[in-house]
Amino acid sequence: MAPRKTERIMNLTICLLMARRFVDKAYIRQMIEGYHDLSDTAFERTFERDKDELRRLGVPVETGSNDPFFPDEVGYRIRRADFELPPIDFAPAEAAVLGLASRVWESATAADQAVSAMAKLRAVGVDPDPGRVTGLTAAIGGREPAFDALWQATMERVPVGFDYRGEPRRVEPWTMTYRRGAWYLLGYDRNRAGQRVFKVARAGREVTPIGKPGSYQVPEIDAARLLASLQPSRPDTTAVLAIRGDRAPTLRRRGEPAEAEVPPGFAAYRVGYATGGDLVGEVCSYGPDVIVLEPAELRQAVIDQLTAIAGGER
Amino acid sequence: MTSIEQVNRMLALVPYLQARPDGADLAQTAAAFGVTPKQLLADLDVLWYCGLPGGLPGDLIEVDIAQTGWIQLSNAEYLSRPLRFAPDEAMSLVVALQLVRELGGPELTVAVDGALAKLTGAHAAARPPVVIDVASGSAEIRRRLAEAIERGLVVRLTYDGQTRAETTTPLVEPKRLSVRDGYGYLDAWSLDRDDWRVYRLDRIAEVTVTEATGQDRGAVPGFGSGWLDERPDAAEVTLLLGPDAHWITEYLPVRHTAPTPQGLAVTLLVADPAWLRSWLLRLGIGVLSVQPPEAAASARDAAREALSLYQG
Repeated sequence: MAPRKTERIMNLTICLLMARRFVDKAYIRQMIEGYHDLSDTAFERTFERDKDELRRLGVPVETGSNDPFFPDEVGYRIRRADFELPPIDFAPAEAAVLGLASRVWESATAADQAVSAMAKLRAVGVDPDPGRVTGLTAAIGGREPAFDALWQATMERVPVGFDYRGEPRRVEPWTMTYRRGAWYLLGYDRNRAGQRVFKVARAGREVTPIGKPGSYQVPEIDAARLLASLQPSRPDTTAVLAIRGDRAPTLRRRGEPAEAEVPPGFAAYRVGYATGGDLVGEVCSYGPDVIVLEPAELRQAVIDQLTAIAGGER
Repeated sequence: MTSIEQVNRMLALVPYLQARPDGADLAQTAAAFGVTPKQLLADLDVLWYCGLPGGLPGDLIEVDIAQTGWIQLSNAEYLSRPLRFAPDEAMSLVVALQLVRELGGPELTVAVDGALAKLTGAHAAARPPVVIDVASGSAEIRRRLAEAIERGLVVRLTYDGQTRAETTTPLVEPKRLSVRDGYGYLDAWSLDRDDWRVYRLDRIAEVTVTEATGQDRGAVPGFGSGWLDERPDAAEVTLLLGPDAHWITEYLPVRHTAPTPQGLAVTLLVADPAWLRSWLLRLGIGVLSVQPPEAAASARDAAREALSLYQG
């Protein structure tokens, strides 16, 4: 970080903000000390770069001409109304949750952005009282190696290339989803020519931009359907299980009481499940606390798995 | 840190300090901006040389830093409001709010929705292209817990424990609601165990608030992602996994993995043998071998016991 460069860009910002008309490069060069010692080419290059960096921050550096008859005489200015944070005011409870929210990110990039946004709010007098949210803490993850780069690309709509399960992919990021502690990226996969979901943890650390910011459109996305596609398949059939006492609560609460002959201490439940899912593994995981009564194939599959475990000297 | 990030901070710092004409504490200000006091002093050093075009003495921003760490800034009325949000700044705050929303009862929800509406309102920021889905149980359960925490009351939970796969009814002093790794949790002092315990919100089936008042148990310990590491009774177990069982590495707290010619060797930290038993039973022949071998004994016994019920 160069103090001289920061100083120069700050002074450029103030200069353009105070300009009532478009001011040309010669004026800017004369007014801002940081440009004085530069050769003509160095000045051009530096000024262009400073302007671009300001625009990346969201500073609306406008280009235009004061004279409609000489539109080629280009100057620059920053319109105050486009520059300043619009009036915004929060109730104390709202300010408190904002303060809490500004600290939940574990991804360095997103954490910096949230702190920076909060600092702007503090600058207009928003003052979170941490005492209002004492019984609460939250963390949102984002520690995956590729997270920061994919987050940034999604926010700026930059197409990116990355390795996914050892294969190079070229993707236009549409949206990111946080579900059960894992981040997912949904986007258009140029290699597969279609919409795909990527688990961010499986993406390689190297994420390369392969296009300009905003260079594609994001279609309307049905978030509910997207989430549903990440969830285990829906039940399409039912099983009757015998469950011991207050054991296997997740299975019990998914089911309804059923009539069947069961060993002492057990009760029967009818439980829905997806044929493509892993009810066999789930039932086995409860050992002698859950028995399959029907259907017969499921019962046999469980017996086979238990037999393999019981017999093996692993 | 780049110069442009410093510029971004200063464009908020100048209005921040001007809004406090009596001055501000250096350390507190640094904390608000997420930087060290040293960095903030460096920012102020640069601001000395910033001001209106022309750079005459009266044109420059005035900065005053007292020995006591008290800072004041003036002569910059033209920067009395911060720069508007960059799109990604507001988005990271909006996404974080969506997570915080999953934490509490109706009061919190109202506060979060109010803040979201203002942030995403016409002028400030767009809704981010992000969907948040946290397993945090029912709003009613969270409301009762939040209320009991605030009033310092003891509650009885009906809890569907996963590790031992049974429903229990522990008596606890609820202390904190938290969201980490995509799940909502209650951090509480268990009166049955006389120790801190963590309960997943989506597994709390019922909360009964009692009349009894809890005690001050000090600060809630930090249950980071690696809090198992701190359990002295935890032991390392290495599983050799066939291809069908590789997926567990994304769900379980894995210490390390190593591909071998026979399969993927995965080392886990096991604090509760019942937890390991349930995973070995679930994965079946997906687990090719277990080290130390004794760790597999209870799964074998459980399988035999289960089989005897099928023969009965």
